[in-house]
Amino acid sequence: MSKLAIENVARTFPGVRGGAATVALQPVSLAVADNDFITILGPSGCGKSTLLRIVAGLDTPTAGRVLLDGIPVKAPGADRGMVFQSYTLFPWLTVGENIAFGLREKRMPEARQKDIVARYVARVGLEGFEHHYPKMLSGGMQQRTAIARALANDPKILLLDEPFGALDNQTRGLMQELLLGIWEAETKTVLFVTHDIEEAIFMANRVVVMSARPGRLKAEVAVSLPHPRHYTLKTTPDFSALKARLTEEIRVEALKAVAVA
Amino acid sequence: MTPLKPISRGRRVALGVAFFVAFVAAWSVATLGGFVSKLFLADPLTMLHEGWLLFVKYGFLKDIGVTVWRVVGGFVLASIVAVPLGIAMGAYKPIEAFFEPFVSFARYLPASAFIPLLILWAGIGETQKLLVIFIGSFFQIVLMVAMTVGATRRDLVEAAYTLGADASGVVRRVLLPSSSPAIAETLRLVLGWAWTYVIVAELIGASSGIGHMITDSQALLNTGQIIFGIIVIGVIGLISDFAFKWANQRLYPWAIN
Repeated sequence: MSKLAIENVARTFPGVRGGAATVALQPVSLAVADNDFITILGPSGCGKSTLLRIVAGLDTPTAGRVLLDGIPVKAPGADRGMVFQSYTLFPWLTVGENIAFGLREKRMPEARQKDIVARYVARVGLEGFEHHYPKMLSGGMQQRTAIARALANDPKILLLDEPFGALDNQTRGLMQELLLGIWEAETKTVLFVTHDIEEAIFMANRVVVMSARPGRLKAEVAVSLPHPRHYTLKTTPDFSALKARLTEEIRVEALKAVAVA
Repeated sequence: MTPLKPISRGRRVALGVAFFVAFVAAWSVATLGGFVSKLFLADPLTMLHEGWLLFVKYGFLKDIGVTVWRVVGGFVLASIVAVPLGIAMGAYKPIEAFFEPFVSFARYLPASAFIPLLILWAGIGETQKLLVIFIGSFFQIVLMVAMTVGATRRDLVEAAYTLGADASGVVRRVLLPSSSPAIAETLRLVLGWAWTYVIVAELIGASSGIGHMITDSQALLNTGQIIFGIIVIGVIGLISDFAFKWANQRLYPWAIN
């Protein structure tokens, strides 16, 4: 049985003031196996974030359902950790307190919370910053804390919505390697939304391409590049071949999206 | 001068002081120079002398104490009820829908216009004074707190939900802490307004307080005392403002840019 099953999930947003309804997502089905790393690649406005929000329980589908370990998703919960594109650390909490947020919610004993926080602070390389407030951190450090905060909760699946979208290119590359390293070590099931083709290939076992609005799954490309992966992988012929193929797929969709807009 | 360009701390203080100096200088020229009749406006020196007399001869400290007590008392009572109600309204939309229209309406009812009614209901004692402050502050605090809480960043709320927080967890651990600095700022503002209400309350039917002293001085045409009283109110307001700002910076270091 797959870890996560997305079954004919569709989402239509009602029209504003009698306007026409917007179909954000046509029925989408996707099966995610345990420890899979899937990237969802699509042009902006294709509904990929909507799909991820539905899996998180932050949005409800107009049709279809999402099953996690066979249980239908109804509302957000600690079993689905999420990292957002915007910086969503709680500004009144320090790095350490942010990472412990979910643990406190579970009423875990302080001592155990401390151990877990220390472990994930080390995992994302933020030793010495435990007592800093988010505003004192760079964007990359904030997103590393957000990843640690989601992972500390030990979710069944990690959902990432363009988590590195606001970062500069160099930082983004480093963050990709960091996240991939964590995944290689901890084996988590990951659903990662991005519009960056290189990022989609580099991170994934499987790239799912979405069409322009209304979004639907257009293609699935398995990425059988070996692990552990280094940034040097991005310049290999195998990688370039995948990139060329996905670039073509995405370009068609991007053109459609521009034509609609 | 360049738009929005900051200036050094020293220059900032010097410029701030310079205006006070210019103001007092203009006042001195107008009064001591004989351009304005002493009957209408006392000169700064007379004002200071009258102020001194107020303290040593007329027990003005007691008046100040009474007024401060009234402001703080009415304001604290209003805050104790208004802040929780505002938080509930900001967090839960049905509660907001229930109270908001009435509170918005009540906010425009002038507190000073209630004084005759309040005298009828509560007499001219302390209860009436506290009620004026309460009415003047309560509705403002409720609305501003509700707005602050309602404007909490949605992405932070969503992040809390994905971390396993339930509704009460979101209120306690996201809405409250994220709104705290702005709520404190609201209280600072409204306390300033409460100062204007207390004086109005003391102008009518009071036997003590700064406002009462001002009415008495008016009967005696003692403009020096009136001006001194007004300045004392300003100074106390400034002190409480500084205290609030200082406390906010201590309490919410994360909120300072």
